[in-house]
Amino acid sequence: MYGWIWRHLPGNAWVRALTSLVLVLAVVYVLFQYVFPWAEPLLPFNDVTVDNGMAVNQ
Amino acid sequence: MGVIGELLITAGLILALFVVYSLWWTNVLADREAKRQGHQVRDRWAKAPAGPGALDTKDGIGFLHVPAMKNGEVLVKRGTGTDVLNEGVAGFYTSPAKSAMPWDQQGNFTLAAHRDGHGAKFHNIDKIKTGDRVVFETRDVWYVYKVYAELKQTSKYNVDVIDPVPKESGKTQPGRYLTLTTCTPVYTSDYRYIVWAELERTEKVDAQRTPPAELR
Repeated sequence: MYGWIWRHLPGNAWVRALTSLVLVLAVVYVLFQYVFPWAEPLLPFNDVTVDNGMAVNQ
Repeated sequence: MGVIGELLITAGLILALFVVYSLWWTNVLADREAKRQGHQVRDRWAKAPAGPGALDTKDGIGFLHVPAMKNGEVLVKRGTGTDVLNEGVAGFYTSPAKSAMPWDQQGNFTLAAHRDGHGAKFHNIDKIKTGDRVVFETRDVWYVYKVYAELKQTSKYNVDVIDPVPKESGKTQPGRYLTLTTCTPVYTSDYRYIVWAELERTEKVDAQRTPPAELR
């Protein structure tokens, strides 16, 4: 998979390395900005209130 | 290396990044937001140092100071939904039991905040011991509470801990109580950690906002 991406990037090794770095940073950005904030409430790590199991604590 | 192997490595890296996000990046964002909102509240207090408007419950009612937690001041706002708590503040309960306010003649001032991530304002709740002081600062008054009981682990459905008279803490008479709740053990939310305090004294805020002796 990564080999395939590497072979299909244009330019010499340096340009490819730079492009790869930009791609990695873009992926990290999308994860931090969109994917993780979406996933976090679905995971049971961050509930801090007591409730009776049905109330939405607002 | 096969595609499966690469996918597994990728999944591992994404999980590691999620840990970084949860325990570091959300703190950065929340602390920034809490600082901004805290400044707003202090600005508003400075502009209207007397008269009505002291008890605005929408933008934050004041600041919680817990010397034992060594985390400075925590802005307290209305509500305990994630939208509120993720701003790096502590929230007072509106449900399942409505919190009393510190200035009420009796009742239980009940707060929740994150143990980890999103500011982690109650991360060091286990450092609070019986006898420690907890101070709540409003525009006009310092409320000094003294911790008298801790419950290191209880069910997340144990809503009795935020009753107006929290019997589990050993109290039977109405009084002016403070209850701090967060999740435990650290990094999970299987159980809840509770700290109870009782109002010891109040002190009027002076022109220089000199902190009470308990914070010096």
